Amino acid sequence: MNANLARQLELLPLNLSHHVKLTVIALAIGVVAGIPLAILIARKPALRSPVLTTIGVIQTIPSLALLALMVPLLAVVSDLSSRLIGSGFSSFGLYPAVLALSLYSLLPIVRNAVTGILGVDPTLTEAARGLGMTDRQTLLRVELPLAAPVIVAGLRTATVWVVGTATLATPVGQRSLGNYIFSGLQTRNWLAVLFGCVAAASLAVTLDLLIGSLQRAVAERRRRLAIASIAGLALLFGGGLVAPSLVSASRGTSGKDAVAIGSKTFTEQYILASLFQQTFADAGIPARRVENLGSNFGLDALASGEIDIFVDYTGTIWANAMGRSGPADRDAVLAEVTDWLASERGIRSLGRLGFENAYALAMRRDQAEALGIRSIADLVPHARDLAIGGDYEFFERPEWEAIRRSYGLDFAREDTFDSTLMYQAAASGQVDVISAFTTDGRIDTFDLVLLDDPLGAIPPYDALLLLSPRVSGRSDVISALSPLVGSISNDRMRAANGLVDRDTDKKPPSAAASALRSWIVDPEGAD
Amino acid sequence: MTRMGRPVTESSTMISARAVSKSFDGGRTQSVLDLDLDVRPGEFLVLLGESGSGKTTTLKMLNGLIPPSSGAIVVDGEDISRVDQVRLRRRIGYVFQGIGLFPHLSVAENVALVPTLLGWPAEEREQRVDELLRLVHLDPEVYRDRAPSELSGGQRQRVGIARALAGRPRIVLMDEPFGALDPITRDHLQIEYQKIHRDLGLTTVMVTHDITESLLLADRIAVMNGGRLVRLGEPAELIAEPGDPYVAQLLETPRRQAERLGDLLDAGKGAR
Ligand SMILES: Nc1ncnc2c1ncn2[C@@H]1O[C@H](COP(=O)(O)OP(=O)(O)OP(=O)(O)O)[C@@H](O)[C@H]1O
Ligand SMILES: [Mg+2]
Repeated sequence: MNANLARQLELLPLNLSHHVKLTVIALAIGVVAGIPLAILIARKPALRSPVLTTIGVIQTIPSLALLALMVPLLAVVSDLSSRLIGSGFSSFGLYPAVLALSLYSLLPIVRNAVTGILGVDPTLTEAARGLGMTDRQTLLRVELPLAAPVIVAGLRTATVWVVGTATLATPVGQRSLGNYIFSGLQTRNWLAVLFGCVAAASLAVTLDLLIGSLQRAVAERRRRLAIASIAGLALLFGGGLVAPSLVSASRGTSGKDAVAIGSKTFTEQYILASLFQQTFADAGIPARRVENLGSNFGLDALASGEIDIFVDYTGTIWANAMGRSGPADRDAVLAEVTDWLASERGIRSLGRLGFENAYALAMRRDQAEALGIRSIADLVPHARDLAIGGDYEFFERPEWEAIRRSYGLDFAREDTFDSTLMYQAAASGQVDVISAFTTDGRIDTFDLVLLDDPLGAIPPYDALLLLSPRVSGRSDVISALSPLVGSISNDRMRAANGLVDRDTDKKPPSAAASALRSWIVDPEGAD
Repeated sequence: MTRMGRPVTESSTMISARAVSKSFDGGRTQSVLDLDLDVRPGEFLVLLGESGSGKTTTLKMLNGLIPPSSGAIVVDGEDISRVDQVRLRRRIGYVFQGIGLFPHLSVAENVALVPTLLGWPAEEREQRVDELLRLVHLDPEVYRDRAPSELSGGQRQRVGIARALAGRPRIVLMDEPFGALDPITRDHLQIEYQKIHRDLGLTTVMVTHDITESLLLADRIAVMNGGRLVRLGEPAELIAEPGDPYVAQLLETPRRQAERLGDLLDAGKGAR
């Protein structure tokens, strides 16, 4: 079997079981909250339109945004609860994901249930009352059974939506089938992306069929079919609820003791997380991975102990978290950032890993040579005829503002790309200049050149190895990680990234991490 | 009157309506207007009137399904606006004009509904279902487990009657219970029901717009027109003395039909 496919299959139990768990909990909450809500608004016409409008509006929030918004919201709630009752809870991972998905599932559940209940023939509800049923008996014995087909149809719609949307739980730190898709997108592993999509679609179709056949079995009173569908659902749900803890237990990474290694959503971060994981494995320290943290959640997650190990970049912290800008000295920034992390967030920096993953403007080599461009300053007279591409955040970041102000740059067009596709867009001439990362392997792959920054508009981006307050005193963790400090040069990191970010002979991040380790141990190996 | 040997004072009426009016539109139109009616214990009273005359509305007010706009209704000595509506309705059998069988329940479950609500043990319920199905001439073996959608219109009507009787009520309200039946089944079921009514000592209020049916079944007939009670009396009294132009007009039809039938019969004899 194809090695890439084998690797995806190996991850399936873990990703799938988390996905099922997430789906089941979210749907259960959706039903438990949605059906009573539907009954209430079916009885009280005055409430009907406001409630349906509100949950309709929730539905129009893009699902990725809804998931992301739950994190700060829960952080506030958690903060309140820890002040009031002395115990907070995690605002990352399962909770925000479940909350957002339950909200998302409300619309089809509530709308169908209301439609179903109101659609019951009024002569039948009158007959129910006339025979001496209480309101409750009328509801349970007549209205709900007669509305059941419509209610179940809503539940099926909700199930398909939730299974699909649960893939977006990955960026808030909840593992799901979305892990295939997000990592696959970042590492240009299209097989992984496809695998994630197919797995999610199959899960949705399976659940839909099982719920549908259960409904048919009940309506047609077919005992065998009912038992079979209940068994199928129980197997899937039970499996989803129990399996995540079993899977992580079998890997020895369950519980709160395991050191949580966080990573953002790009290749370099996956490789470094793998590197730490291998390092901890050798040192016999239990560790687990929390992948695909949205770029700005990392420091918060670290401060709250959600994750323990994280790599962030001085310039990013300096500009985004500390809100500073303007030209700055590399060592001065490092010192300020380290102090700020310790004093403001309780985060300990073990020091620079060695490389700098800076923003830099990059162009195709042939075009740069033809126009005689070597630095950003050379770009200024040509910019009006050129298009620039940036990743999702670049044009919103203070660095871009600083570059434009310092050099007086004004491009014909600004296009936003997923960082995976951005390099290709530059190589194919879709855009002329891109916001590259200095350690990205694709700079070499696509024969791009990095432009100098003579005015120092872009701050330094030393990769820092950061520890949460929880593990900052653990000597085993620190002695395992210390050898990595200062050991990864720009060339090594870019070479490791290049092993993953290429289309032929692609390596998985874990293999690139192994390569990186061998170069650290044997310094000659990198060249 | 001391029918069934009860003292006049307390139980001479099983159901009584006093100055009952009902408007569904806040008084602009009156569906039932100033109705005074006493139904005696053991009586078979028929509410007769044309479509829209307020028969169903009156019947529904008698078991509290529709609250009157004004006036009072007393059932078995109790003002029904003051009693537990659920317990009241479980004591009164009701056959709905649209039958109202529950499509998601089998015939047996429909019939057993009130006994279930009353908490009868399963065995007793099953016996009762079979007994009642036989009473309305439906073979339990064949029909017990059918869905209402698998019955003919007349069979459904019979299940509706069985359901109304299941909880052993002393009062039965029936809204056009024999409407969808062919003449032979209808005749049969009418006689069958009249027998049940007598044997069990029921008090029955039946709605119909079929004059012949009312004349044949009723102890007394209450004629309604435009929401008002225009005449109340025994069939023979009504025929002898309609007392109201509307009632006279009503009775004209069956009288003419009877005369024609008589002529036909005579002609038949003559031809032979
Ligand atoms: N729920 C209601 N809302 C408004 N008007 C109603 C309602 N129920 C009955 N009515 C009106 O009250 C009047 C009497 O209706 P009712 O159903 O009692 O007539 P009925 O004598 O049973 O007629 P039918 O023989 O056609 O069944 C009619 O004019 C009807 O339109
Ligand atoms: Mg009617």
